[in-house]
Amino acid sequence: MKLDLSDASNEGSQMSDAPGQDIFDKICELLAPYNPKSLAITRQSGIMTDLEVDSTAVFDIIMGLEDHYDISIPMEMVSDIKTVGELVSAVQRLAAE
Amino acid sequence: MDIFDKFSSLQFRSDLVQRLGVDPFGVKFDRILNASQGLIGNREILLAGTNNYLGLTFDPDCMDAAIAAINKHGTGTTGSRIANGSYEEHVDLENALAAHTGMASAIVFSTGYQTNLAAIATLAGPKDVLFIDADSHACIIDGCRLSAAPTIRFRHNSPADLDKRLTRQGEIKDGIALVVIEGMYSMFGDKAPIAEFVEVCARHGAYLYIDEAHSFGIFGETGCGLAQAEGVLDKVDFISGTFSKSLASIGGFCLSRHKNFEITRKAMRAYMFTASPTPSNIAAARAALDKIASMPNLRTALAERAAQLHSGLKALGFDLCAGAGPIIAIRRPNEVLAATEWNWLLENGLYVNLAVPPGTPQSSSLLRISLSASHTKEDIERIISIFTKMKSNSGALMAKAQSVLQAGTQ
Repeated sequence: MKLDLSDASNEGSQMSDAPGQDIFDKICELLAPYNPKSLAITRQSGIMTDLEVDSTAVFDIIMGLEDHYDISIPMEMVSDIKTVGELVSAVQRLAAE
Repeated sequence: MDIFDKFSSLQFRSDLVQRLGVDPFGVKFDRILNASQGLIGNREILLAGTNNYLGLTFDPDCMDAAIAAINKHGTGTTGSRIANGSYEEHVDLENALAAHTGMASAIVFSTGYQTNLAAIATLAGPKDVLFIDADSHACIIDGCRLSAAPTIRFRHNSPADLDKRLTRQGEIKDGIALVVIEGMYSMFGDKAPIAEFVEVCARHGAYLYIDEAHSFGIFGETGCGLAQAEGVLDKVDFISGTFSKSLASIGGFCLSRHKNFEITRKAMRAYMFTASPTPSNIAAARAALDKIASMPNLRTALAERAAQLHSGLKALGFDLCAGAGPIIAIRRPNEVLAATEWNWLLENGLYVNLAVPPGTPQSSSLLRISLSASHTKEDIERIISIFTKMKSNSGALMAKAQSVLQAGTQ
């Protein structure tokens, strides 16, 4: 299993044609119950910082994505993911494997 | 930039609960009178949050064994077993644990936390894959982090979800799957369906590791834990546990049905590079193991008290996280109210645990009770009457929580 996330930071340059829009929408849907203040979610949003999601809830969201896309997102990969955009990239990459 | 800036949000939450009175995470007892009573100042407190499930910390035989060990070997071992040698008591306790559980190999550690840290980090190599329950204890998660293996979480207590994730993983080239679960979970007190996990692991050829920290000594015909209670002890690859709960001491153990587990003594860093358990700790745990084997009445008494308290709290309308058992967790609506109630309980002579996110599943705020075989029926009646009184004071407690919350956010 490859855990390389090197292309995760290229997210910004791909914003115009919004690749992974379906993944982004799914993440927003899974984040909703943990976003009582209805903070605006963008790809640049820090999941634990800007969106104030605690570590337990992050893993609930991860499991939701794993089941929806039939992928495995290992725990050590999750600790490298800071923003919503990085999570979109990781899911894209794993789903393509 | 200050080195402590990163703790600012933690500091804010900590300051908030301090305003309620005593810091729930920094209680100081002036004296422990026995397994169920302590003193804060000169106030007597009923202890219902110590994980002292069998009440053996004041058992005369356990105390005598610890004192005799100090007289024989002194207070500390001052080194690791690899570098500085073992004492005969270390080896004797390992032999006794293996014999009592029918396992091929037993290794003791200096704390329960270090046990899972050492064993999991070492057993799973870079080509292996770890599968852990979503509600795993911090020491399991830290063991996974220290290991070189990818770690996949499955839904709490769901053998079906584990099955799905093992299937998704498929064949692991040059490696194995190691599944880690707990027997009874420390926060909610809910139990794993162990026989079903054994079946799923067998079908996928995965190894199974069960942390029975809160269930060893308490369940099973001879107290070997929930795997024994479900009749599958001999099919579990690894069982870990702690000396700091039913075994009335401090330290931990890992047992395996595989004789080759012995080689990991020379590979587990948290075993090799730390001082071995003190003579008195080992002697107390050894004496407590004898009690676990010979006194099933302790388990019966604990189960009776648990049923009594569970039905009493349920009758009061409290939302309880699991069925009757030695851990009874009451779900509260939020952290500040839970902390306010926790303080009120202590003022009224009852010590329980306050458990708040992120240390709890489902971001719950809990008043957590752990019972002891040393609690009497009257102790349980007293706990129920204190909670009855708390319930009748709910308006005042909610107002206090509200005012602290407002003062904190202004």
